[in-house]
Amino acid sequence: MGLEYVRISPGFERYMPKDYVDLVKYGQFGRQVDVQQLGQFKELVEEHPMCAGCFMAYFIRVFYAALPNPEDTIVIGTAGCARLALSQAAVPFVYGNYGDTNAVASGLKRALTIRFPDKVKDVVVIAGDGGLIDIGFGMTMHSWFRREKFTTIMVDNEVYGNTGGQESGMSPKGVQLKMAPKGKQFDKINAVELAKVAGCVYVAKLAPTNPKRIAKTIRRAILAARHFGPTFIHAYTSCNIEYSIPTEKVLEDARKREKQDFAFYEWMTDEVREYFEEIEKKTEEVKA
Amino acid sequence: MYYVADVNETDCAKYNCKQCVLFCPEPNTLMYHNSKHVAWVNYSRCKGCAICVYVCSDLLKRNCIQMVMMTAGE
Ligand SMILES: Cc1ncc(C[n+]2csc(CCOP(=O)(O)OP(=O)(O)O)c2C)c(N)n1
Ligand code: SF4
Ligand SMILES: [Mg+2]
Repeated sequence: MGLEYVRISPGFERYMPKDYVDLVKYGQFGRQVDVQQLGQFKELVEEHPMCAGCFMAYFIRVFYAALPNPEDTIVIGTAGCARLALSQAAVPFVYGNYGDTNAVASGLKRALTIRFPDKVKDVVVIAGDGGLIDIGFGMTMHSWFRREKFTTIMVDNEVYGNTGGQESGMSPKGVQLKMAPKGKQFDKINAVELAKVAGCVYVAKLAPTNPKRIAKTIRRAILAARHFGPTFIHAYTSCNIEYSIPTEKVLEDARKREKQDFAFYEWMTDEVREYFEEIEKKTEEVKA
Repeated sequence: MYYVADVNETDCAKYNCKQCVLFCPEPNTLMYHNSKHVAWVNYSRCKGCAICVYVCSDLLKRNCIQMVMMTAGE
């Protein structure tokens, strides 16, 4: 990752905020970090106002450590809890209007490809279940139908968390929420199968119980989007507020859900599989 | 007064594990000291969720982290 991009001009170091200086000296810039090194470098994402113990915030923390090329990445978010942290990172962030993220990302990715023909620019959408599969459903689907080359990550807390607990298409059937007092009448939408049918070339589903695997999945989704087409990750990221999960039990809940309906799942086209086999063989050769 | 995680350094140093660090939802908060081999908490950033206590005590049975009350400025 390029250090030039963030380097402080000589003489200005003592005027810069400490967090910025730390980011240059001990951050991800200029080297590739391993997610297992979290806690030993200055992270790209800063303090943010997401709730205590929020596992969506945890997923976002791992996301930034996993980026294959953060200085050439643009993150797109929208209304919903995730943007509270996404907007506090040292990676360019675009706030799409609610529901519009995948249309904005389509235009942006195409424009970047024209503007920087010799460079790879990764575009990643991170938005909620409401933003992507309810209100943004049409734009999400059509970006996949058009085979736009960027990654979509749904941080699924199974509710409209940011607006106080309305049910979403991703809430499980029967669940009672503050603003769904009769209990949800319909099944949870099968987003992963929709993504496959709509043309995604790499699709994964996970619960955040294993940081190494989250990071690997994110990197794969981003790399596959660079070369082949749309990619999608469906991540369970619980809302401890709306689902009344005591904060110290948030990881326990994720482990439980992983055993029930969020077992790790990964699907890709043959072309993408061959590509990963190829690069994984190369890294092994380098190691040997 | 606020509630924060506190690592017992002597106990933690026995393990060289850093699992708690890998599950904290907050960035730059629960850190790992590479040469001392201990986790440590940046108290002013800790939101007191106690997920680290679950990792250290419930999952790993190592009991090196406690939640403590702190007064601003401590
Ligand atoms: C066009 C538009 N409609 C409605 C809203 C109000 N709004 C803000 S956040 C939100 C729901 C967020 O739910 P979700 O996308 O699941 O994200 P979460 O907060 O659960 O992470 C809504 C309806 C808006 N900001 N813009
Ligand atoms: S309301 Fe829920 S999803 Fe939003 S920050 Fe709080 S715990 Fe996380
Ligand atoms: Mg939601």
